Amino acid sequence: MIEVKNLTVAFDKKIVLDDISMKIEKGEFVGILGPNGAGKTTLVKSILGLEKPVKGGVRINGVDVNEYIKTNGTCIGYLPQYAIVNWNMPIRVIDAVLIEKIKPFGIFRKYSKQEIESVRHWLSVFGVEDKMYDYIKELSGGQQQRVSLARCMMHNPEILILDEPNTAIDAVYNTRLYGILKELSRKNSMTIIMVSHDIGAVTKYVDEIMCLNVKLHCHGKSGSINFSDVLKEVYGNDMEIVVHEDGCKNCAFNKDKQ
Amino acid sequence: MIWDIVLRAAVVGILLSVLLSIMSYFVVVRKMTFAGVGIAHSAFGGIALNFFFGFAGYIFPLFFSVAASLLIAFLYKKGNMSEDSAIDVIFVFSMAFGVFILSLSNGYSANMLGILFGNILSVTNFDMITTLAVFAVGFIFITYLFSHFQLISYNEELAYIAGINIDLLYYLFWVVLSIVIVLSIKLIGIILVNAFLVLPTLVGSNCSKNYKGIVAIGAVSSVLSVVAGIFAAYFLNTPAGATIVLVFISLWLLSFLPKKL
Repeated sequence: MIEVKNLTVAFDKKIVLDDISMKIEKGEFVGILGPNGAGKTTLVKSILGLEKPVKGGVRINGVDVNEYIKTNGTCIGYLPQYAIVNWNMPIRVIDAVLIEKIKPFGIFRKYSKQEIESVRHWLSVFGVEDKMYDYIKELSGGQQQRVSLARCMMHNPEILILDEPNTAIDAVYNTRLYGILKELSRKNSMTIIMVSHDIGAVTKYVDEIMCLNVKLHCHGKSGSINFSDVLKEVYGNDMEIVVHEDGCKNCAFNKDKQ
Repeated sequence: MIWDIVLRAAVVGILLSVLLSIMSYFVVVRKMTFAGVGIAHSAFGGIALNFFFGFAGYIFPLFFSVAASLLIAFLYKKGNMSEDSAIDVIFVFSMAFGVFILSLSNGYSANMLGILFGNILSVTNFDMITTLAVFAVGFIFITYLFSHFQLISYNEELAYIAGINIDLLYYLFWVVLSIVIVLSIKLIGIILVNAFLVLPTLVGSNCSKNYKGIVAIGAVSSVLSVVAGIFAAYFLNTPAGATIVLVFISLWLLSFLPKKL
Protein backbone atom coordinates (compact mmCIF):
# COMPACT_ATOMS: atom_id res chain seq x y z
CA MET A 1 0.00 0.00 0.00
CA ILE A 2 1.17 3.52 -0.83
CA GLU A 3 0.26 6.15 1.73
CA VAL A 4 0.76 9.83 1.04
CA LYS A 5 0.23 11.98 4.12
CA ASN A 6 0.04 15.79 4.21
CA LEU A 7 2.53 15.98 1.36
CA THR A 8 3.61 19.54 0.61
CA VAL A 9 6.31 20.23 -1.96
CA ALA A 10 7.70 23.66 -2.84
CA PHE A 11 10.22 24.93 -5.41
CA ASP A 12 11.86 28.20 -4.36
CA LYS A 13 9.11 28.78 -1.79
CA LYS A 14 6.40 28.31 -4.45
CA ILE A 15 4.10 25.55 -3.33
CA VAL A 16 3.50 23.05 -6.14
CA LEU A 17 1.78 20.37 -4.06
CA ASP A 18 -0.33 21.47 -1.14
CA ASP A 19 -1.18 19.09 1.69
CA ILE A 20 -1.89 15.99 -0.39
CA SER A 21 -3.15 12.93 1.46
CA MET A 22 -4.27 9.69 -0.15
CA LYS A 23 -3.97 5.92 0.00
CA ILE A 24 -3.45 3.54 -2.90
CA GLU A 25 -4.14 -0.13 -2.19
CA LYS A 26 -2.17 -3.01 -3.70
CA GLY A 27 -3.39 -3.93 -7.19
CA GLU A 28 -5.22 -0.65 -7.83
CA PHE A 29 -4.95 1.08 -11.20
CA VAL A 30 -4.94 4.81 -10.49
CA GLY A 31 -5.08 7.63 -13.02
CA ILE A 32 -3.81 11.10 -12.13
CA LEU A 33 -5.35 13.95 -14.11
CA GLY A 34 -4.74 17.66 -14.05
CA PRO A 35 -3.73 20.61 -16.24
CA ASN A 36 -0.12 21.56 -17.04
CA GLY A 37 1.71 22.68 -13.91
CA ALA A 38 -0.78 20.92 -11.63
CA GLY A 39 1.99 18.97 -9.89
CA LYS A 40 1.24 15.53 -11.38
CA THR A 41 4.89 14.74 -12.15
CA THR A 42 5.99 16.20 -8.82
CA LEU A 43 3.52 13.91 -7.08
CA VAL A 44 4.83 10.75 -8.76
CA LYS A 45 8.41 11.87 -8.16
CA SER A 46 7.57 12.36 -4.48
CA ILE A 47 6.07 8.87 -4.38
CA LEU A 48 9.44 7.66 -5.73
CA GLY A 49 11.44 9.71 -3.23
CA LEU A 50 12.86 11.89 -6.02
CA GLU A 51 11.47 15.10 -4.53
CA LYS A 52 12.00 16.15 -0.94
CA PRO A 53 8.79 17.46 0.64
CA VAL A 54 8.74 20.48 2.91
CA LYS A 55 6.02 18.78 4.93
CA GLY A 56 4.51 15.32 5.15
CA GLY A 57 5.79 12.27 3.35
CA VAL A 58 5.21 9.02 1.54
CA ARG A 59 5.26 5.50 2.95
CA ILE A 60 5.24 2.32 0.90
CA ASN A 61 4.12 -0.83 2.72
CA GLY A 62 4.56 1.10 5.97
CA VAL A 63 8.19 2.09 5.23
CA ASP A 64 9.41 5.61 4.43
CA VAL A 65 9.84 5.85 0.66
CA ASN A 66 13.58 6.65 0.77
CA GLU A 67 14.26 3.60 2.94
CA TYR A 68 11.98 1.50 0.73
CA ILE A 69 13.87 2.56 -2.42
CA LYS A 70 17.24 1.66 -0.85
CA THR A 71 16.16 -1.91 -0.17
CA ASN A 72 13.33 -2.53 -2.65
CA GLY A 73 14.02 -0.14 -5.54
CA THR A 74 13.67 -2.92 -8.08
CA CYS A 75 10.11 -3.55 -6.87
CA ILE A 76 9.14 -0.33 -8.63
CA GLY A 77 8.91 0.06 -12.40
CA TYR A 78 9.11 3.70 -13.43
CA LEU A 79 8.51 5.32 -16.76
CA PRO A 80 9.79 8.92 -16.57
CA GLN A 81 8.58 11.60 -18.93
CA TYR A 82 9.71 10.84 -22.49
CA ALA A 83 11.73 14.04 -22.84
CA ILE A 84 14.13 13.41 -19.95
CA VAL A 85 15.49 10.09 -21.24
CA ASN A 86 18.79 10.24 -23.15
CA TRP A 87 17.63 8.64 -26.41
CA ASN A 88 20.90 9.50 -28.15
CA MET A 89 22.90 6.87 -26.30
CA PRO A 90 24.63 4.34 -28.61
CA ILE A 91 22.78 1.34 -27.21
CA ARG A 92 20.47 -1.25 -28.73
CA VAL A 93 16.92 -1.89 -27.60
CA ILE A 94 18.03 -4.98 -25.64
CA ASP A 95 20.63 -2.85 -23.81
CA ALA A 96 18.01 -0.21 -22.99
CA VAL A 97 15.54 -2.78 -21.66
CA LEU A 98 18.22 -4.33 -19.44
CA ILE A 99 19.85 -1.02 -18.46
CA GLU A 100 18.52 -1.13 -14.90
CA LYS A 101 20.09 -4.55 -14.30
CA ILE A 102 23.40 -3.06 -13.24
CA LYS A 103 26.33 -5.43 -12.89
CA PRO A 104 29.98 -4.91 -11.91
CA PHE A 105 32.32 -4.63 -14.91
CA GLY A 106 29.24 -4.13 -17.12
CA ILE A 107 31.34 -3.14 -20.12
CA PHE A 108 32.45 -6.77 -20.50
CA ARG A 109 28.98 -8.12 -19.82
CA LYS A 110 27.13 -10.73 -21.89
CA TYR A 111 23.40 -11.29 -21.44
CA SER A 112 22.13 -14.68 -20.25
CA LYS A 113 19.61 -16.69 -22.29
CA GLN A 114 17.04 -16.03 -19.56
CA GLU A 115 17.57 -12.27 -19.80
CA ILE A 116 17.29 -12.34 -23.60
CA GLU A 117 14.07 -14.38 -23.45
CA SER A 118 12.62 -12.07 -20.84
CA VAL A 119 13.41 -9.01 -22.99
CA ARG A 120 11.88 -10.75 -26.04
CA HIS A 121 8.72 -11.53 -24.06
CA TRP A 122 8.12 -8.00 -22.82
CA LEU A 123 8.99 -6.43 -26.17
CA SER A 124 6.41 -8.72 -27.78
CA VAL A 125 3.81 -7.70 -25.16
CA PHE A 126 4.34 -4.07 -26.21
CA GLY A 127 4.55 -4.94 -29.92
CA VAL A 128 8.20 -4.07 -30.63
CA GLU A 129 9.80 -7.53 -30.55
CA ASP A 130 11.25 -7.04 -34.04
CA LYS A 131 13.23 -4.01 -32.81
CA MET A 132 15.25 -5.94 -30.20
CA TYR A 133 18.63 -5.39 -31.86
CA ASP A 134 17.92 -1.95 -33.34
CA TYR A 135 19.54 1.16 -31.88
CA ILE A 136 17.23 3.21 -29.67
CA LYS A 137 18.05 6.50 -31.37
CA GLU A 138 16.84 5.05 -34.68
CA LEU A 139 13.35 4.22 -33.36
CA SER A 140 10.32 6.47 -33.59
CA GLY A 141 9.15 8.24 -30.43
CA GLY A 142 6.27 5.80 -29.97
CA GLN A 143 8.56 2.77 -30.37
CA GLN A 144 11.01 4.26 -27.86
CA GLN A 145 8.17 4.68 -25.39
CA ARG A 146 7.11 1.05 -25.84
CA VAL A 147 10.73 -0.04 -25.25
CA SER A 148 10.63 1.94 -21.99
CA LEU A 149 7.44 0.15 -20.99
CA ALA A 150 9.17 -3.20 -21.59
CA ARG A 151 12.10 -1.98 -19.46
CA CYS A 152 9.73 -1.16 -16.61
CA MET A 153 8.58 -4.78 -16.54
CA MET A 154 12.01 -6.44 -16.37
CA HIS A 155 12.04 -6.68 -12.57
CA ASN A 156 8.41 -7.88 -12.36
CA PRO A 157 7.61 -4.79 -10.30
CA GLU A 158 4.95 -4.68 -7.60
CA ILE A 159 4.36 -1.01 -8.34
CA LEU A 160 4.35 0.57 -11.79
CA ILE A 161 4.55 4.35 -12.04
CA LEU A 162 3.99 5.81 -15.49
CA ASP A 163 4.42 9.49 -16.26
CA GLU A 164 2.49 10.15 -19.46
CA PRO A 165 3.05 6.71 -21.04
CA ASN A 166 1.06 7.64 -24.12
CA THR A 167 3.47 10.41 -25.20
CA ALA A 168 4.33 9.86 -28.90
CA ILE A 169 2.14 6.74 -29.04
CA ASP A 170 -0.53 6.67 -31.75
CA ALA A 171 -4.24 6.64 -30.89
CA VAL A 172 -4.81 3.04 -31.95
CA TYR A 173 -1.97 1.62 -29.86
CA ASN A 174 -3.01 3.83 -26.95
CA THR A 175 -6.16 1.78 -26.46
CA ARG A 176 -4.18 -1.46 -26.57
CA LEU A 177 -1.72 -0.03 -24.08
CA TYR A 178 -4.44 0.83 -21.58
CA GLY A 179 -5.84 -2.68 -22.05
CA ILE A 180 -2.44 -4.25 -21.32
CA LEU A 181 -2.02 -2.11 -18.22
CA LYS A 182 -5.50 -3.00 -16.99
CA GLU A 183 -4.73 -6.69 -17.45
CA LEU A 184 -1.39 -6.38 -15.63
CA SER A 185 -3.13 -4.69 -12.75
CA ARG A 186 -5.79 -7.42 -12.52
CA LYS A 187 -3.77 -10.57 -13.19
CA ASN A 188 -0.54 -9.66 -11.40
CA SER A 189 -2.10 -7.54 -8.64
CA MET A 190 0.23 -4.80 -9.80
CA THR A 191 -0.34 -1.32 -8.38
CA ILE A 192 -0.30 1.12 -11.29
CA ILE A 193 -0.15 4.89 -11.01
CA MET A 194 -0.50 6.63 -14.34
CA VAL A 195 -0.23 10.33 -15.10
CA SER A 196 -2.11 11.20 -18.25
CA HIS A 197 -3.76 14.00 -20.17
CA ASP A 198 -6.02 11.46 -21.89
CA ILE A 199 -9.08 12.16 -19.74
CA GLY A 200 -11.47 9.98 -21.73
CA ALA A 201 -9.30 6.87 -21.63
CA VAL A 202 -8.33 7.35 -18.00
CA THR A 203 -11.95 7.48 -16.92
CA LYS A 204 -12.65 4.31 -18.89
CA TYR A 205 -9.75 2.07 -17.85
CA VAL A 206 -8.57 2.99 -14.37
CA ASP A 207 -10.09 1.90 -11.03
CA GLU A 208 -9.49 5.18 -9.22
CA ILE A 209 -9.07 8.73 -10.42
CA MET A 210 -7.25 11.61 -8.80
CA CYS A 211 -7.79 15.13 -10.05
CA LEU A 212 -4.93 17.37 -9.10
CA ASN A 213 -4.19 21.03 -9.40
CA VAL A 214 -1.70 21.80 -6.62
CA LYS A 215 -4.36 20.48 -4.24
CA LEU A 216 -6.09 17.13 -4.57
CA HIS A 217 -9.53 18.07 -5.86
CA CYS A 218 -11.00 14.61 -5.96
CA HIS A 219 -10.01 11.01 -5.40
CA GLY A 220 -12.46 8.21 -5.95
CA LYS A 221 -13.71 5.29 -8.01
CA SER A 222 -13.79 6.22 -11.67
CA GLY A 223 -17.56 5.67 -11.96
CA SER A 224 -18.44 7.56 -8.82
CA ILE A 225 -17.21 11.03 -9.73
CA ASN A 226 -19.26 13.75 -11.35
CA PHE A 227 -16.62 14.72 -13.87
CA SER A 228 -18.15 17.79 -15.40
CA ASP A 229 -18.03 19.64 -12.10
CA VAL A 230 -14.62 18.34 -11.02
CA LEU A 231 -12.96 19.04 -14.37
CA LYS A 232 -14.40 22.54 -14.44
CA GLU A 233 -12.91 23.08 -10.99
CA VAL A 234 -9.51 21.58 -11.88
CA TYR A 235 -9.06 22.84 -15.45
CA GLY A 236 -11.04 26.05 -15.05
CA ASN A 237 -13.16 25.42 -18.16
CA ASP A 238 -16.31 23.57 -19.13
CA MET A 239 -15.21 20.23 -20.55
CA GLU A 240 -16.97 17.35 -22.20
CA ILE A 241 -15.59 13.83 -22.04
CA VAL A 242 -15.89 11.71 -25.18
CA VAL A 243 -14.85 8.11 -24.70
CA HIS A 244 -14.18 6.22 -27.91
CA GLU A 245 -15.81 2.81 -27.65
CA ASP A 246 -15.36 -0.06 -30.11
CA GLY A 247 -18.93 0.40 -31.24
CA CYS A 248 -18.37 4.04 -32.11
CA LYS A 249 -18.22 3.38 -35.85
CA ASN A 250 -18.20 6.87 -37.23
CA CYS A 251 -15.30 8.35 -35.30
CA ALA A 252 -11.84 8.68 -36.84
CA PHE A 253 -10.34 6.47 -34.13
CA ASN A 254 -12.27 3.38 -35.24
CA LYS A 255 -11.87 4.19 -38.93
CA ASP A 256 -8.09 3.90 -38.40
CA LYS A 257 -8.56 0.49 -36.80
CA GLN A 258 -10.68 -0.70 -39.71
CA MET B 1 69.14 7.74 -23.25
CA ILE B 2 66.81 9.39 -25.75
CA TRP B 3 65.02 6.06 -26.23
CA ASP B 4 64.43 5.88 -22.49
CA ILE B 5 62.66 9.22 -22.71
CA VAL B 6 60.62 8.12 -25.73
CA LEU B 7 59.70 4.81 -24.10
CA ARG B 8 58.71 6.50 -20.83
CA ALA B 9 56.54 9.01 -22.65
CA ALA B 10 54.95 6.22 -24.72
CA VAL B 11 54.10 4.13 -21.62
CA VAL B 12 52.62 7.16 -19.81
CA GLY B 13 50.77 8.23 -22.95
CA ILE B 14 49.32 4.78 -23.67
CA LEU B 15 48.06 4.22 -20.12
CA LEU B 16 46.50 7.66 -19.79
CA SER B 17 44.98 7.59 -23.27
CA VAL B 18 43.25 4.25 -22.61
CA LEU B 19 41.76 5.60 -19.38
CA LEU B 20 40.74 8.92 -20.95
CA SER B 21 39.16 7.19 -23.94
CA ILE B 22 36.85 5.11 -21.70
CA MET B 23 35.93 8.21 -19.68
CA SER B 24 35.54 10.10 -22.95
CA TYR B 25 32.52 7.91 -23.75
CA PHE B 26 30.61 9.26 -20.75
CA VAL B 27 31.93 12.79 -21.20
CA VAL B 28 30.57 12.89 -24.77
CA VAL B 29 27.34 10.98 -24.09
CA ARG B 30 26.56 13.32 -21.17
CA LYS B 31 27.63 16.37 -23.20
CA MET B 32 30.35 17.36 -20.70
CA THR B 33 33.17 17.95 -23.18
CA PHE B 34 33.81 21.42 -21.85
CA ALA B 35 34.62 19.79 -18.48
CA GLY B 36 38.04 18.63 -19.70
CA VAL B 37 38.94 22.14 -20.81
CA GLY B 38 37.84 23.54 -17.45
CA ILE B 39 39.70 20.99 -15.33
CA ALA B 40 42.91 21.17 -17.38
CA HIS B 41 42.96 24.95 -17.27
CA SER B 42 42.21 24.88 -13.54
CA ALA B 43 45.52 23.05 -13.08
CA PHE B 44 47.24 26.17 -14.41
CA GLY B 45 46.69 27.91 -11.08
CA GLY B 46 48.44 25.04 -9.30
CA ILE B 47 51.32 24.93 -11.79
CA ALA B 48 51.81 28.67 -11.23
CA LEU B 49 52.06 28.05 -7.48
CA ASN B 50 54.67 25.35 -8.21
CA PHE B 51 56.75 27.98 -10.04
CA PHE B 52 56.24 30.56 -7.34
CA PHE B 53 57.39 28.28 -4.53
CA GLY B 54 59.97 26.47 -6.65
CA PHE B 55 58.24 23.08 -6.24
CA ALA B 56 57.93 20.23 -8.71
CA GLY B 57 55.35 17.45 -8.71
CA TYR B 58 51.62 17.20 -8.66
CA ILE B 59 50.50 18.51 -5.30
CA PHE B 60 49.45 22.05 -6.28
CA PRO B 61 48.10 21.21 -9.77
CA LEU B 62 46.16 18.25 -8.35
CA PHE B 63 44.81 20.34 -5.52
CA PHE B 64 43.61 23.01 -7.94
CA SER B 65 42.11 20.58 -10.45
CA VAL B 66 40.39 18.34 -7.92
CA ALA B 67 39.06 21.36 -6.02
CA ALA B 68 37.92 22.92 -9.28
CA SER B 69 36.20 19.73 -10.44
CA LEU B 70 34.42 19.32 -7.10
CA LEU B 71 33.36 22.97 -7.14
CA ILE B 72 32.09 22.65 -10.71
CA ALA B 73 30.17 19.51 -9.76
CA PHE B 74 28.79 21.18 -6.62
CA LEU B 75 27.69 24.35 -8.40
CA TYR B 76 26.00 22.27 -11.06
CA LYS B 77 24.27 19.95 -8.59
CA LYS B 78 23.26 22.41 -5.91
CA GLY B 79 23.26 25.80 -7.52
CA ASN B 80 21.09 27.19 -10.25
CA MET B 81 23.93 27.10 -12.77
CA SER B 82 24.43 25.13 -15.93
CA GLU B 83 27.49 22.89 -16.02
CA ASP B 84 29.09 25.04 -18.74
CA SER B 85 28.64 28.27 -16.78
CA ALA B 86 30.08 26.67 -13.63
CA ILE B 87 33.10 25.40 -15.59
CA ASP B 88 33.61 28.80 -17.20
CA VAL B 89 33.70 30.67 -13.87
CA ILE B 90 36.22 28.24 -12.31
CA PHE B 91 38.30 28.08 -15.49
CA VAL B 92 38.75 31.85 -15.85
CA PHE B 93 39.47 32.20 -12.12
CA SER B 94 42.26 29.58 -12.28
CA MET B 95 43.78 31.09 -15.41
CA ALA B 96 43.67 34.63 -14.00
CA PHE B 97 45.10 33.42 -10.69
CA GLY B 98 47.84 31.48 -12.51
CA VAL B 99 48.89 34.43 -14.67
CA PHE B 100 48.83 36.72 -11.63
CA ILE B 101 51.06 34.37 -9.59
CA LEU B 102 53.39 33.70 -12.56
CA SER B 103 53.89 37.42 -13.07
CA LEU B 104 55.29 37.53 -9.52
CA SER B 105 57.73 34.67 -10.28
CA ASN B 106 61.04 35.02 -12.11
CA GLY B 107 61.89 33.34 -15.42
CA TYR B 108 58.59 31.54 -15.88
CA SER B 109 58.06 32.28 -19.58
CA ALA B 110 60.67 29.76 -20.79
CA ASN B 111 58.57 26.89 -19.45
CA MET B 112 55.21 28.23 -20.56
CA LEU B 113 55.16 26.40 -23.89
CA GLY B 114 55.79 23.10 -22.10
CA ILE B 115 52.87 23.73 -19.73
CA LEU B 116 50.51 24.77 -22.46
CA PHE B 117 51.45 22.22 -25.13
CA GLY B 118 53.33 19.44 -23.30
CA ASN B 119 56.99 18.45 -23.15
CA ILE B 120 58.12 14.88 -23.70
CA LEU B 121 61.43 15.56 -21.91
CA SER B 122 59.64 16.45 -18.68
CA VAL B 123 58.17 12.94 -18.21
CA THR B 124 60.16 11.23 -15.44
CA ASN B 125 60.34 7.72 -13.97
CA PHE B 126 58.29 9.01 -11.06
CA ASP B 127 55.60 10.14 -13.53
CA MET B 128 55.59 6.66 -15.06
CA ILE B 129 55.15 4.92 -11.70
CA THR B 130 52.46 7.42 -10.64
CA THR B 131 50.67 6.88 -13.95
CA LEU B 132 50.80 3.09 -13.53
CA ALA B 133 49.18 3.38 -10.08
CA VAL B 134 46.52 5.85 -11.28
CA PHE B 135 45.81 3.69 -14.33
CA ALA B 136 45.27 0.59 -12.18
CA VAL B 137 42.86 2.38 -9.82
CA GLY B 138 41.16 4.42 -12.55
CA PHE B 139 40.69 1.46 -14.90
CA ILE B 140 39.08 -0.66 -12.18
CA PHE B 141 36.92 2.31 -11.12
CA ILE B 142 35.50 3.07 -14.56
CA THR B 143 35.09 -0.53 -15.79
CA TYR B 144 33.62 -1.79 -12.48
CA LEU B 145 31.07 1.03 -12.45
CA PHE B 146 30.45 1.14 -16.21
CA SER B 147 26.82 -0.10 -15.93
CA HIS B 148 26.17 2.41 -13.14
CA PHE B 149 27.43 5.34 -15.23
CA GLN B 150 25.55 3.98 -18.25
CA LEU B 151 22.27 4.07 -16.30
CA ILE B 152 23.03 7.53 -14.85
CA SER B 153 23.70 8.80 -18.39
CA TYR B 154 20.45 7.24 -19.64
CA ASN B 155 18.27 8.69 -16.89
CA GLU B 156 19.31 9.83 -13.42
CA GLU B 157 15.89 9.15 -11.90
CA LEU B 158 16.05 5.49 -12.89
CA ALA B 159 19.56 5.32 -11.43
CA TYR B 160 18.28 6.69 -8.11
CA ILE B 161 15.47 4.12 -7.99
CA ALA B 162 18.01 1.38 -8.78
CA GLY B 163 19.76 2.40 -5.53
CA ILE B 164 22.77 4.14 -7.08
CA ASN B 165 24.31 6.95 -5.04
CA ILE B 166 24.31 9.36 -7.98
CA ASP B 167 25.96 12.29 -6.19
CA LEU B 168 28.84 10.17 -4.88
CA LEU B 169 29.55 8.63 -8.29
CA TYR B 170 29.20 12.00 -9.97
CA TYR B 171 31.82 13.59 -7.69
CA LEU B 172 34.10 10.54 -7.94
CA PHE B 173 33.97 10.62 -11.74
CA TRP B 174 35.09 14.25 -11.76
CA VAL B 175 37.86 13.63 -9.23
CA VAL B 176 39.27 10.66 -11.18
CA LEU B 177 38.96 12.63 -14.41
CA SER B 178 40.82 15.60 -12.94
CA ILE B 179 43.65 13.35 -11.66
CA VAL B 180 44.05 11.71 -15.08
CA ILE B 181 43.98 15.09 -16.83
CA VAL B 182 46.64 16.55 -14.51
CA LEU B 183 48.90 13.55 -15.16
CA SER B 184 48.40 14.04 -18.91
CA ILE B 185 49.42 17.71 -18.88
CA LYS B 186 53.18 17.02 -18.92
CA LEU B 187 52.89 14.98 -22.09
CA ILE B 188 50.08 16.69 -23.96
CA GLY B 189 49.80 20.11 -22.31
CA ILE B 190 46.92 22.07 -20.87
CA ILE B 191 45.59 23.32 -24.19
CA LEU B 192 45.62 19.98 -26.03
CA VAL B 193 44.60 17.47 -23.37
CA ASN B 194 40.92 17.91 -24.17
CA ALA B 195 41.53 16.16 -27.49
CA PHE B 196 41.71 12.90 -25.52
CA LEU B 197 38.33 13.54 -23.97
CA VAL B 198 36.52 14.15 -27.24
CA LEU B 199 38.31 12.50 -30.18
CA PRO B 200 38.25 8.84 -28.95
CA THR B 201 34.45 8.79 -28.82
CA LEU B 202 34.13 10.78 -32.05
CA VAL B 203 36.39 8.30 -33.88
CA GLY B 204 34.58 5.36 -32.23
CA SER B 205 31.14 6.75 -33.15
CA ASN B 206 32.17 7.07 -36.79
CA CYS B 207 33.19 3.39 -36.90
CA SER B 208 30.62 1.74 -34.62
CA LYS B 209 27.03 2.30 -33.48
CA ASN B 210 27.45 0.28 -30.31
CA TYR B 211 28.89 1.57 -27.03
CA LYS B 212 31.30 -1.36 -26.69
CA GLY B 213 32.61 -0.77 -30.21
CA ILE B 214 32.84 2.98 -29.62
CA VAL B 215 34.89 2.52 -26.42
CA ALA B 216 37.14 -0.16 -27.94
CA ILE B 217 37.80 1.75 -31.17
CA GLY B 218 38.27 4.95 -29.17
CA ALA B 219 40.92 3.29 -26.98
CA VAL B 220 42.75 1.76 -29.97
CA SER B 221 42.75 5.07 -31.85
CA SER B 222 44.05 6.89 -28.74
CA VAL B 223 46.91 4.42 -28.30
CA LEU B 224 47.75 4.59 -32.02
CA SER B 225 47.80 8.39 -31.89
CA VAL B 226 50.09 8.43 -28.85
CA VAL B 227 52.57 5.90 -30.26
CA ALA B 228 52.60 7.31 -33.79
CA GLY B 229 52.64 10.89 -32.46
CA ILE B 230 55.60 10.33 -30.13
CA PHE B 231 57.67 8.59 -32.83
CA ALA B 232 56.74 11.20 -35.42
CA ALA B 233 57.72 13.95 -32.96
CA TYR B 234 61.07 12.21 -32.35
CA PHE B 235 61.94 11.89 -36.02
CA LEU B 236 60.53 15.25 -37.11
CA ASN B 237 61.83 17.05 -34.01
CA THR B 238 58.41 18.57 -33.33
CA PRO B 239 56.53 19.04 -30.01
CA ALA B 240 55.08 15.67 -28.94
CA GLY B 241 51.74 16.95 -27.62
CA ALA B 242 50.89 18.83 -30.79
CA THR B 243 52.10 15.96 -33.03
CA ILE B 244 50.00 13.41 -31.10
CA VAL B 245 46.90 15.57 -31.42
CA LEU B 246 47.52 16.13 -35.16
CA VAL B 247 47.81 12.35 -35.66
CA PHE B 248 44.57 11.91 -33.71
CA ILE B 249 42.79 14.54 -35.83
CA SER B 250 44.02 12.69 -38.96
CA LEU B 251 42.58 9.43 -37.57
CA TRP B 252 39.31 11.19 -36.87
CA LEU B 253 39.15 12.43 -40.48
CA LEU B 254 39.98 8.91 -41.70
CA SER B 255 37.21 7.51 -39.51
CA PHE B 256 34.64 9.19 -41.77
CA LEU B 257 35.70 6.86 -44.59
CA PRO B 258 33.85 3.71 -43.40
CA LYS B 259 30.63 5.75 -43.52
CA LYS B 260 31.35 6.89 -47.07
CA LEU B 261 32.34 3.44 -48.39
